[in-house]
Amino acid sequence: MGKKELKVAFLLALRSLQRGSRSSVILTILIIGMCFTNMIFLPGLFNGIGQSITKQVVDYEIGNVLVSPKTGDQYVSDLGATLDLINGMPGVERATPHFSKGATLKYRQRMLGVSVRAIKPNDEKLVSPLYTKMVAGSYLGEDDTGEVIIGRPVAGDTSIREEDEFQSSLGGVRVGDSITIDYGNGYVKDYRVKGIYYTGWSSADSAVYVTYTDMALADPKAVDNADYITVKTRPGYSEKFVKDELIQYGVSQKVQTTADLLAKSMGRALQSFAIINMVSLIVGIIITTVVLFIVITIKTINSRRQIGILKAIGVDQEVIMHSYGFQVIIMAVLGILFGLVLTLLMAAYLAANPIVTPEWSATLYLTPMDLIQNSLILFAASIVAGYVPAYQVSREDIQSAMRA
Amino acid sequence: MIEITDLQKIYRMGDVEVRALDGVTLDIAKGEFLGIMGASGSGKTTLLHMLGLLDEPTSGKIIIDGTDISTLNDYDKTMFRLYKLGYVFQDYALVPDLTVRENVTLPAMLRKDLTEGQYRDACTDILTKIGMLDRQDHLPRELSGGQQQRVSIARAIVNKPDILFADEPCANLDTENSRMVLDLFREINEEMKQTIVMVSHEDWHKDYFHRIIRLRDGKVTSDGINDRNAH
Repeated sequence: MGKKELKVAFLLALRSLQRGSRSSVILTILIIGMCFTNMIFLPGLFNGIGQSITKQVVDYEIGNVLVSPKTGDQYVSDLGATLDLINGMPGVERATPHFSKGATLKYRQRMLGVSVRAIKPNDEKLVSPLYTKMVAGSYLGEDDTGEVIIGRPVAGDTSIREEDEFQSSLGGVRVGDSITIDYGNGYVKDYRVKGIYYTGWSSADSAVYVTYTDMALADPKAVDNADYITVKTRPGYSEKFVKDELIQYGVSQKVQTTADLLAKSMGRALQSFAIINMVSLIVGIIITTVVLFIVITIKTINSRRQIGILKAIGVDQEVIMHSYGFQVIIMAVLGILFGLVLTLLMAAYLAANPIVTPEWSATLYLTPMDLIQNSLILFAASIVAGYVPAYQVSREDIQSAMRA
Repeated sequence: MIEITDLQKIYRMGDVEVRALDGVTLDIAKGEFLGIMGASGSGKTTLLHMLGLLDEPTSGKIIIDGTDISTLNDYDKTMFRLYKLGYVFQDYALVPDLTVRENVTLPAMLRKDLTEGQYRDACTDILTKIGMLDRQDHLPRELSGGQQQRVSIARAIVNKPDILFADEPCANLDTENSRMVLDLFREINEEMKQTIVMVSHEDWHKDYFHRIIRLRDGKVTSDGINDRNAH
């Protein structure tokens, strides 16, 4: 096939699309676009959910790297030295300790079991965006005592009766109110509610936060111990790099990256997502392939006589085959572009209006590679679907074609 | 120019055998305007299709311009048709999605020995010759039958083929348009010295032919020179 033959094939294809049945061309392009959207939407949404969960876990639970007690130990001990060591490592933005203790909150007639988390507020600010999620009052100060910040679901709402609550709460605590925390070890203290926060991550929203200074009063073990330390990495440093560094420089605790932890906790869920994504992809490809196959088969069957005439006047069968191939290529490119626009519009809409559940909020998470990969897969499927009937009909002998 | 020896074409439909051509032997000279006449089913179109490499004979030999066409593969036959032969069909057979100019240019575009400028000029010349230049951007469906047939002729001669085949080109035309088409064939034959082989069942068309072959049941029943138009 030379340049001239390709030019003729392209001319025949273009004119057939321009001057043939426009409704059939537009419908085919719409179908390809919809198939593209179908192929990419569900995986994109699952990725969005995955990303959302991962982000919330990183932000409010484990940071980029989690340092937890080694097997057999209850706490990360020698906290001051350990924090100094970690904070001194290149690639570490900040490390912050957490010490949690089960307790009962009391407010008026309500009682609620929660996890009280002790934090070092200034360090926590450098690791977690919790301080940006205050919906009322303010965040904890470094040396605050007798003050607590609580999640909005814990604070509750005065307008909802206790028996109607989805999740038990204190029934409408406001900033400045006093609540009592009973740590269960005989230490009971009244705290002023300094702030109410809402992160959208249920585990964090169901907790209350006090300072390490306060926790040390309730449980002396908190003075130099932590349940775990969360570490935020600096931009440009991988979690793996920081993990390896911490281990290499003598952090004797258990060191795990987000990826390590998510692989354990979410591995099965991610596998399920991957299966659904694959099914969605295969269904999309099959639909596109079948539709294009049918469209081109009908086109070629309806054009058999014309194909015979073209062959009779000296147009080679390859030119004829490629003319149908080009039609498919043009429709596939337009369909994929339409699908891209549709997908990006949906992504923009979901970015502005994420799907929100009590556990996570999700947007459409698409990488350029996802878009390119799906475009290429759909394009390849279209080519196969278009060329097979074109090849078959272009090989028909002139007499049979002309008699059609 | 064309040598046909003992040409046979047998169609088999189940157990029934139909001899569409039954031992046709014939020579056609260069520059001849040959008319193939006969009743419906006499084998005229079958013979034209054999000569035009549109169908394979069951047996016999066709040599065109020194080339035994049975030795050509599919691609060679396509190229032979492109460079050496032109066709005019009964129902015009224009590509409906192409304009008049595009239809006429199409075979020339595929020729390796013509530049874009050359085939554009050739197309313009031919459209001028057939009086269709002002309608070059029209689609076939916007033309009358006579105009479509003129475009079909223009497409057939754009590559200046050695031989032009026409299969009842006036079958769908009224007398006035038929005469216009036949005059055009005569002009082409005289000016461009092209060999023309035309199938017809209209008796008055014989006035245009140099020589007339009559077929019946696949056999040549008469082969005579038309004295008025002798080549």
